Amino acid sequence: MENKRYRSKKLWEKTSLALIYAVLIIISLIWLVPFFMLIILSFRGEHVGMSADYLFPKQWSFDNYIKLFTETKFLTWYGNTMLVSVVVTVFQTVIVLMTSYALSRLRFKMRKPLMNLMLILGMFPGFLSMTAVYFVLKEINLTQNLLGLMLVYTASSAMQYYICKGFFDTIPKSLDEAARIDGASRHTIFVKIILPLAKPIIIYTILTAFIAPWGEYMFSSFIMLGDPDKFTVAVGMKSWLDNSTMASEYFTVFCAAAVVVSIPITALFIWLQRYYVEGITGGSVKG
Amino acid sequence: MAEVSLKHIYKVYPNGTKAVNDFNMHIEDKEFIVFVGPSGCGKSTTLRMIAGLEDVSAGELKIGDLIVNDVEPKDRDIAMVFQNYALYPHMTVYDNIAFGLRLKKLPREEIHKRVVEAADILGITEYLNKKPKEMSGGQRQRVALGRAIVREPKVMLLDEPLSNLDAKLRTQMRAEISKLHNRLQTTFIYVTHDQIEAMTMGTRIVVMKNGFVQQIDTPKNLYNYPENRFVASFIGTPQMNFFEGTLKREGDDVNMSFADCGVRITVPYSALYKAQPKYLDGKTPVYIGLRAEDITIAEADGRAVIKVAVSHKEELGNETLVYGTIKPEGGYAEGAASIVFKDVSGRDIKAGDVLDVALRLERLHLFDKDTEMSVLPRIPEYNYLDCEVKGGRLEFAGAELALPEACRCADGKYQLLLPADAITPAGELKAKADDCEEINGVKLVALNIGGTRLYAVNLDAAAGKEVSFGIDLKKITLTADGECVVAPMPAENEIDCRFVKRKTVVTEEVNGRIKRKRAVRFGFEAEGAFFEASDTAVQKIFAALGIKKPLTAKFKLVCGVYDLAVAESGIAAKVEGLVCYGAEKFLRCSVGGRDIYVAADREYCGDIYLAPDFEKTGVVETERDIKII
Repeated sequence: MENKRYRSKKLWEKTSLALIYAVLIIISLIWLVPFFMLIILSFRGEHVGMSADYLFPKQWSFDNYIKLFTETKFLTWYGNTMLVSVVVTVFQTVIVLMTSYALSRLRFKMRKPLMNLMLILGMFPGFLSMTAVYFVLKEINLTQNLLGLMLVYTASSAMQYYICKGFFDTIPKSLDEAARIDGASRHTIFVKIILPLAKPIIIYTILTAFIAPWGEYMFSSFIMLGDPDKFTVAVGMKSWLDNSTMASEYFTVFCAAAVVVSIPITALFIWLQRYYVEGITGGSVKG
Repeated sequence: MAEVSLKHIYKVYPNGTKAVNDFNMHIEDKEFIVFVGPSGCGKSTTLRMIAGLEDVSAGELKIGDLIVNDVEPKDRDIAMVFQNYALYPHMTVYDNIAFGLRLKKLPREEIHKRVVEAADILGITEYLNKKPKEMSGGQRQRVALGRAIVREPKVMLLDEPLSNLDAKLRTQMRAEISKLHNRLQTTFIYVTHDQIEAMTMGTRIVVMKNGFVQQIDTPKNLYNYPENRFVASFIGTPQMNFFEGTLKREGDDVNMSFADCGVRITVPYSALYKAQPKYLDGKTPVYIGLRAEDITIAEADGRAVIKVAVSHKEELGNETLVYGTIKPEGGYAEGAASIVFKDVSGRDIKAGDVLDVALRLERLHLFDKDTEMSVLPRIPEYNYLDCEVKGGRLEFAGAELALPEACRCADGKYQLLLPADAITPAGELKAKADDCEEINGVKLVALNIGGTRLYAVNLDAAAGKEVSFGIDLKKITLTADGECVVAPMPAENEIDCRFVKRKTVVTEEVNGRIKRKRAVRFGFEAEGAFFEASDTAVQKIFAALGIKKPLTAKFKLVCGVYDLAVAESGIAAKVEGLVCYGAEKFLRCSVGGRDIYVAADREYCGDIYLAPDFEKTGVVETERDIKII
């Protein structure tokens, strides 16, 4: 019988792994370089504006950070953004979790059409309704008001049900049924049985709920137009770049602000990632 | 502890699929009932309806004295063990068991006492602080049992609790659950697809298939007296042998021919007394059933000995399962000719051997090939006799009695179909009671009248004694050449009706003043007559059909001939004639194109009105054929 030549399995695996890692490293670099540039530029002491043709500062300094907190309204904007984001996170998380649980567990008429409708509506960019939303808010005196912004961000929360519902669908329904027989109400089941098992998805929901208003520009610039004290960081920082003189003056301060803005999200993720584990339902049912 | 009663229970899904059909059963206190059947037979659905996890589409479900159709699971005083344990993974074993008690807001000491006691019974005390994921399957199922027993429920429901365990653990847990039942003295309802679990644990077993109950009986009776081929094949390992064949009566013997293979054996007719004559005509095909242990290797030639060509065998240590074919020429065992039997003699059997095997004919089972129902029912429904009508008198088996006007027919020879329950204690006929047996609370008496055997279920007689009896002629059928000449009085009438809503004005006295107010009444409308429905009836209709459908659906009222009465107003009927059974008279009326029979004390003619007794009248939804009331 003729000996057939086979390709070495190990050599093939090593080669393909090397190629995959090379591509991943290149992608990571492309993704990380702007971030590192931002950090480095935030420590530039000399005022050369945006026109400098070098990256590393000639004079390392914290001046940009000092100026950020003493000479600008950044702290007010930061506080506004934090307040809006925290309130929206709390409401959005509660609404998303409750909607998802209801859609996962309850069977009612028009459930599927409602889910489809929410999914389709969610696909349209939010800014399409911006003008209408603005006039509604104006009618109820909520323009240039943080409460208005919170309402806008929270209003469509339920439409983000699908990932969360997918997770709830994986929690066996027999747990709900066992609890119902034990005497638990729907609310008790949700709070005492389902939520403790849904930590990963709660964390995911909190993170997405926080990140969206934290960096959102379009709605907040429209609703808060004309009142710098009500600006969020995105709107405020953008105002520094509105004309070339200001952009040149505030360029490095902008970089310092960008670094400060990224801190809460990074901290939140680091704090929450320990809950972000799988296998939480281990042992509940036969796997 | 409680009795559980299921009356005409249905489960119909919105797409029209009937998961459970007309389930009727009364479960006694402290019974261990097992629902068994293949996947999709409706056993788990029935259990979940009892638990309250599925809505009952129609019917009445009672736990104790309480109708629980619309009662929350937690208020039904039941506990349930799930197939997949359903333990709360984030809680310790202690918290899992105590969860329900905490929700009941029991004192902490009481909760602790009950949890420790349950853990002690189930041998899981040392695991109380562990989480479910740290435990094995068997231990987890014990925790699930513990969670159920601490609730001290009236009824314990177990949904395939052992199917996720390995074979050894299953046997062990089976014994433990039986012990637990003895110890707790509670009603247990257990669902399984494993017939060994059913046979070893149940005091009574419910065999189900395609949503229908096939048979409800004790394990022993199910094994020995299966009512149909499905039950016979489902219960027992290895499965019962089935052969196609025919039976031909020749005097006191019946020749049994096995189809396809030409084997014939002789069976004494006495073993087939309960079979309908049509099965003994040598043409009607039947399934011949014999269990593996009722076939043994024959030591000598006998009348029930056949040859088996061995195809292969399975050694089980204490016995050998021998597979083969009853085709004399041997070859591969296939279909109707294949056979399996148990050999406990330990002899050396090889593939290709041709053996003489003896069939235990007293353990023979026969089933109709079309309906698959047993040809030898334990309680025969009918007696089949040849008879003659001469001058208005009926003669059969040497007995004679006058036919009433309703049963009059031309002189000649007929076949008499006499239901076992039509033989009544009061009468002038005499017979000898050959045999008496008590079957599931029914006393079956075998009468010998002029050498002909009659089965009766309403007689109180002792074997060997002479007994007087009469015949309820309302129930007999006379046929000639397959044509019905005299039909029995229908047991029930059916009248088409609709469920309607009516707005009325009612007056009531409030503080001495008469007040008028609008009210909505629901009721049944048949042939222009309106009968207000009771609150319970209205609830049942809406529970079964939802809010809108009852007012558009078609219904029929089902009532016996004695449950309808001639009245001043009511359902318009036209009298077609008078049917006289001696002193008893019935009006034959036409209502909406249907023939209706009504007991009457005198003759009426022309148009009359009928009023049903709604205490005894059932309501059936016509489209899905569901008995709602």
